[in-house]
Amino acid sequence: MTDKTTSIPDALPTSKRLPPSRGSRKTRTAAWLFVAPAFIAYAAFVLAPLVMSFYYSFLRWDGIGEASFHGLTNYITVLTDRDLLQIIGNAFQLVLYFTLIPVVLGLAVASAIRSHMAGRFGTITRTVLFLPQVIPLVAAGIAWSWMFASTGLVNQTLKAIGLSSWARGWLGDFVWALPAVGIIGAWVLLGLCTMLLVTGITKIDPSLYEAARLDGARPWHEFRYITLPGLRQEIGVCITVTVIAALASFDIVYISTQGGPGITTTVPGLEIYRLAFAHRQVGLASALAIVLMVLVLISIAPVQWFTRDKK
Amino acid sequence: MKTATPNTLVARGLIIVLMIVTLLPFLSMLSAALAPQGTYPNGLQWPADPQWGNFARAFEVARMDQLLLSSSLIVLGVVPISVLIATMAGYGLAKLTTNKYKWLYLVFVFGLTLPFEAVITPLYYEVRALGLLNTRFAIILPLIGLYMPFSVYWMRAHFLNVPHDLTEAAQLDGATRWKEFWLVQVPLARPAIMSLTILLFLWTWNQFLLPVVLVQDPMQRTMAGALGAFQGQWGTDIPLLCAGSLLILAPTVALFLVFQRQFVAALMQGAVKG
Amino acid sequence: MAGLTLRSVRKNYGDVPVIKGVDLDIAHGEFVVFVGPSGCGKSTLLRMIAGLEDITSGEVSIGTRVVNDVEPRDRGVAMVFQSYALYPHMSVYDNVGFGLKLAGTPKAVRDANIRDAAKVLQMEHLLDRRPAQLSGGQRQRVAIGRAIVREPDVFLFDEPLSNLDAALRGDMRMELARLHNDLGATMIYVTHDQVEAMTLADKIVVLDGGVVQQVGSPLELYNNPANLFVAGFIGSPKMNLLSVESQTGGAVVSAALAAPLALRHDLPESARMTLGLRPHDLKVAEDGPLKGHVRLIERLGNETILRVSLTDATEITAVLPGQDALANGQPIAFDFEPSSALLFDEHGSRLNTAP
Repeated sequence: MTDKTTSIPDALPTSKRLPPSRGSRKTRTAAWLFVAPAFIAYAAFVLAPLVMSFYYSFLRWDGIGEASFHGLTNYITVLTDRDLLQIIGNAFQLVLYFTLIPVVLGLAVASAIRSHMAGRFGTITRTVLFLPQVIPLVAAGIAWSWMFASTGLVNQTLKAIGLSSWARGWLGDFVWALPAVGIIGAWVLLGLCTMLLVTGITKIDPSLYEAARLDGARPWHEFRYITLPGLRQEIGVCITVTVIAALASFDIVYISTQGGPGITTTVPGLEIYRLAFAHRQVGLASALAIVLMVLVLISIAPVQWFTRDKK
Repeated sequence: MKTATPNTLVARGLIIVLMIVTLLPFLSMLSAALAPQGTYPNGLQWPADPQWGNFARAFEVARMDQLLLSSSLIVLGVVPISVLIATMAGYGLAKLTTNKYKWLYLVFVFGLTLPFEAVITPLYYEVRALGLLNTRFAIILPLIGLYMPFSVYWMRAHFLNVPHDLTEAAQLDGATRWKEFWLVQVPLARPAIMSLTILLFLWTWNQFLLPVVLVQDPMQRTMAGALGAFQGQWGTDIPLLCAGSLLILAPTVALFLVFQRQFVAALMQGAVKG
Repeated sequence: MAGLTLRSVRKNYGDVPVIKGVDLDIAHGEFVVFVGPSGCGKSTLLRMIAGLEDITSGEVSIGTRVVNDVEPRDRGVAMVFQSYALYPHMSVYDNVGFGLKLAGTPKAVRDANIRDAAKVLQMEHLLDRRPAQLSGGQRQRVAIGRAIVREPDVFLFDEPLSNLDAALRGDMRMELARLHNDLGATMIYVTHDQVEAMTLADKIVVLDGGVVQQVGSPLELYNNPANLFVAGFIGSPKMNLLSVESQTGGAVVSAALAAPLALRHDLPESARMTLGLRPHDLKVAEDGPLKGHVRLIERLGNETILRVSLTDATEITAVLPGQDALANGQPIAFDFEPSSALLFDEHGSRLNTAP
């Protein structure tokens, strides 16, 4: 008998045999003391502000003078005002770019390569693709502002391939600014999603593909019935991460467009900042903040449900 | 390794395209950063006479030395404490697994998806009330709290995998909780702690929203926050802006290149668990 | 010098009682084995003695001291875990010495104790290794070493051999017996394996459903099981249990029996009861009361184990000495000494042996 066979099964019988409420009362008291500092920090700088946000959202307050109770007016404004609705819609449009592009491209690479990226090539790939994750989003925003500038690389390329008529100041264009911002987000998230999916696919048992081929499966079938289900968890992770990044985006927009032109690229995060600190409408800003939080939760919940529970 | 099938060639091609797309913005910035001052350079064009001096000027204009110091102070204020209290809490929560205590864990988990924007307004008034506005503590203290959901979640996941027997063996060996934590649990948690440290370092260094709202003086901000101010001030001088941006993102990139393996592992696990 | 006393000890998890009132006296230096099927509460009882579980009610004393509210580390006990629970990041040397270090033992003393323990357990050459580099048997030794350096009053073993293979288990069993002889300390040992219990124990405590079924020396339990549970649990192969009904005149009848069996005169009339017969007590006899066909033969060389189907299809096991030239399907009949037959009433309690 080798080490491994004797040591691995250890954990199972012991944990199975014992009921969940292990340990003594003192253990529990001690555990509480260990949790306390983190909980205090969390309560002071997250839970308390969250409660305050909720409270402010029912007020009419300029942040300085007297506040007055405003009922649900702020929420009604958030959900009816055309500008605010457009701003929320912008965030969801960004989801298309932030999520779809990285996931689809990542899946394409993963299902084509379907093996571990070993050796030097793998290391270089990982290093390069993770660069956007390491730099500040602000830097990505600046880099791409320059890419999208009128003399930037995007226009330079278009001109080089004879599409001069397409060249424009992308981030100042009422139609193209939002997609351009979306591209920036996609660029940031692409590497992470690709690497997650490539890693995920190496965990699928290769004999499944061989069995499927013996059963007469075409490549599409392999993708549909083996790769996709096998990557469910990883896809779930990618969608979760990218959807949150899109809905709660701030840095990229702040740097690249300041929300313009008009409000074509304004997102809730930026609008909260503006309402609270430029327009002094703390109540409305807080209502929008609460709505944003709820929207994120609602958007993430089904993804978590579909990808994690069934195991 | 399998032999290269047409499929893997396609995949490699795709990956190489992805890598080029990833690198182009950096190259484009570099080429602009080397253009002569005051000119309006082209997207990607190696300048006839590369102006490496632009970097020196950007270093001076951006007061990089001070920025580095400020960012480092903030990281030192945030990361060690966050890692410590999150490790403690993760250990504690892993011992409180009964239904009776599940709510405590759920309260932490709830914060995982919380956008910082949702609490930034009240944070402003809270920090102002504490008299910390425009100090580094305005960034440090809230960040510690904001990082708790992920950090605690992360460390708890680790501690759940440590056999309970080790705790009991330590108890019987005469260890108090505190000693057990330091002498048995923390050494075993080193990989998880390492990854968490890397992630928190990156997130702190790159934090933008808090410095923009809570700290006016760029010299008290994080690198990312300072970069925002730098852009506001020098946004029209493309060579200088690009040189400055490259300088500002250089420290994390350099660290990343050195600890490539650890960073990649941390970022991937971080995404999966978060 | 520490014996151990348990007085109406109970343990509930929420509303679920798992230990339902245990009284037990353990003398100093005794080797006591808690045995029972999984879920019988034997490990919980051990952990309560160690202080790893709260005691819902009752009293646990070590020596003369009630230890209900004493921290595990202050109880003077050491425990060997089923999983060994070695600290993966420490060398064997540090694993063994961890308790002493925590107790602030001077380095020189510590070193001497560690080396003594290593010598006793023949693991001096392993001291620099990490647990991951050890085999199962070696880890076991380290875990025991960790317990003995602290010179505890009471050693606790929680199924320590269940992760070892059969051969190693036999060796370690002998080693534990030797260790007990050398140290003379009180040892409490939990196992579900009745062979371990029989070979190691001075005193066996049979538990089932959180209740002590019987306490006694191995042979007492074997010869005089207090109830059906103990009778079925102790002994290998298991005791044969046949449902019978008593008749007037102290005989029992059963469809499994070829003829009424005269056993004892003091039996109540027409009561349902169980007849227990050890496989080793059955002897081949052509006119014996147990008639059937051979179903399965296991030849072990020194003895032959038979699975026999009786006339009513009840299956029993018989162990015959030596190597019998039997064939599958062959008719066979058994007899036994009436004194070796055990009777249990319908609640499973043993009917006292006739004088």
